[in-house]
Amino acid sequence: MALRLLSSRRRLGSIVLSYRSPLASLHSHATSFGFQQVKEEEKSKLVSNVFTNVASSYDIMNDVMSAGLHRLWKERLVGKLSPFAGMKHLDVAGGTGDVAFRIFDAVNSVKRRALRKVDEASIEETQIYVCDINPNMLNVGKQRAAERGLSDNRSLVWVEGDAEALSFDDDSMDGYTIAFGIRNVTHIEKALAEAYRVLKRGGRFLCLELSHVDIPVFKELYDLYSFQVIPNLGELIAGDRDSYQYLVESVRRFPPQERFAKMIGDAGFEKVEYENLVGGVVAIHSAIKL
Amino acid sequence: MYRTAAKRLLGAGLTTSRLLRSTIIPSSYTSNLCTSSMGHTEFSNQSGPTAAGEGPRRKPRPEFEEEQARVLSASLRHVARLGWTEEAMMAGSRDVGVSPSIVGSFSRKEAALVEYFMDECLQLLVDRVDSGLDLQNLIPSERISKLVRVRLEMQVPYISKWPQALSIQAHPVNVPTSFKQRAMLVDEMWHSVGDGASDLDWYVKRTVLGGVYSTTEIYMLTDDSPEYRETWEFLDDRVKDAFDLKKSIQEAKYFAQDIGAGVGKSFQGLMNGVMQTMSTRGGRSSSSF
Repeated sequence: MALRLLSSRRRLGSIVLSYRSPLASLHSHATSFGFQQVKEEEKSKLVSNVFTNVASSYDIMNDVMSAGLHRLWKERLVGKLSPFAGMKHLDVAGGTGDVAFRIFDAVNSVKRRALRKVDEASIEETQIYVCDINPNMLNVGKQRAAERGLSDNRSLVWVEGDAEALSFDDDSMDGYTIAFGIRNVTHIEKALAEAYRVLKRGGRFLCLELSHVDIPVFKELYDLYSFQVIPNLGELIAGDRDSYQYLVESVRRFPPQERFAKMIGDAGFEKVEYENLVGGVVAIHSAIKL
Repeated sequence: MYRTAAKRLLGAGLTTSRLLRSTIIPSSYTSNLCTSSMGHTEFSNQSGPTAAGEGPRRKPRPEFEEEQARVLSASLRHVARLGWTEEAMMAGSRDVGVSPSIVGSFSRKEAALVEYFMDECLQLLVDRVDSGLDLQNLIPSERISKLVRVRLEMQVPYISKWPQALSIQAHPVNVPTSFKQRAMLVDEMWHSVGDGASDLDWYVKRTVLGGVYSTTEIYMLTDDSPEYRETWEFLDDRVKDAFDLKKSIQEAKYFAQDIGAGVGKSFQGLMNGVMQTMSTRGGRSSSSF
């Protein structure tokens, strides 16, 4: 894959502290809606509006904005997860089900192979929970499941919920993924703490998110693309310039790779790593709960 | 050069088993490229022989590595049944009481299991040697034989699935690590035999022993004789050849020199003849240029 040439892994050696103190910057994430300043209580409502507006054209816009690359990124995410049969997985902010469907496919193709070798009682039901705060996004997901003939399948469960206050039990999940969702959460550290809470010992946390680019010339090109092209695309295709303006701004406001990795570590996770894809446009952070 | 260099640098007080413990264990299942452990500022380092110089003050390993080691160790029990596969590792993780998801975090999954096993065997070998494997009364070729035999016997419980392990080790992605592990194994063996040389001979010795070890390992895969008797006979023959080989290499060198001298003379003669022919021809038809 051409992506491999551009993907690079970085070590968390010396952490470059930003000029703001960590608390202040977290607070600023909670009160930032893109480049605007908003009240904390209002942020989640504003985000909710954004996603209600974009739900129906979410998938098309993803394809257009990333030139189809988002599929490869999600494949990579699921590849890193290495799903297995009998797994209990939670995909947060996964409204339209992209990641969930991929995990479902991976498990069911692996399952057939593994059934020959698998031992006794581990043929439990695989459960993939898709959790999203926005019911419109979930509906799109359910629709897509119906199109694939999976609407009655017991493995996929669609749940409405808030990443900061999950309705699942402690130590109940083998895997937790959040793809392009953590940026929209008001309090990142709460979402991370919840992730830590619901994961079993040995469970993995994986986060796919738009992130910061540092490569000199590429950074300028990316900024140009983000601020000039994307909002116009949003207007053209989805009829909603503001939501996509929010999107590109929120990417800039999100903590960079190293700092986000530190936050994950602070939540209690071990072996925190991240992998940059396309030079940093997207980053996959992974960690284990032990 | 590992142990011999270490001894030279740090003096005889260094216990070699401690040295190896700190250098071996990080190599196999820490993903060297980018592992970062938050909340732990100390990595189990790979900086070489100097690492474990200070005895009891060994750096603590990050917890996830210990957990991974525990999972791998438990997985070995399932290898005979499930092979060197993710299923074995998942079964191992269930034994330890950890979610099978952790298998996804190993950088090269099955290879991690095989490499862990190789490291464990090397450590066992070192321990056996240190705790008095009887080598004193044997001549060098017999000592080598015995060491290789001891090491290969550790693989007997897994012999039915060992071809799979070998093929995993042969994957291009895994070759660097498996090569390094075998190099360390061979170095360790020569060192136990008592060889302290660090000249050019070092490479020859290790390459030869590497070859002997690998061929014996493969021979063992198809051996049905009781207690692998035929394998040990094969091993003894190969070791004998290897020790003769050293003499043969020397002889071959001299032989080549002689031949070279002879060939050189005749080559020179040939070239002279060619030059003469060309000059006479050139004189007759100089206008053809």
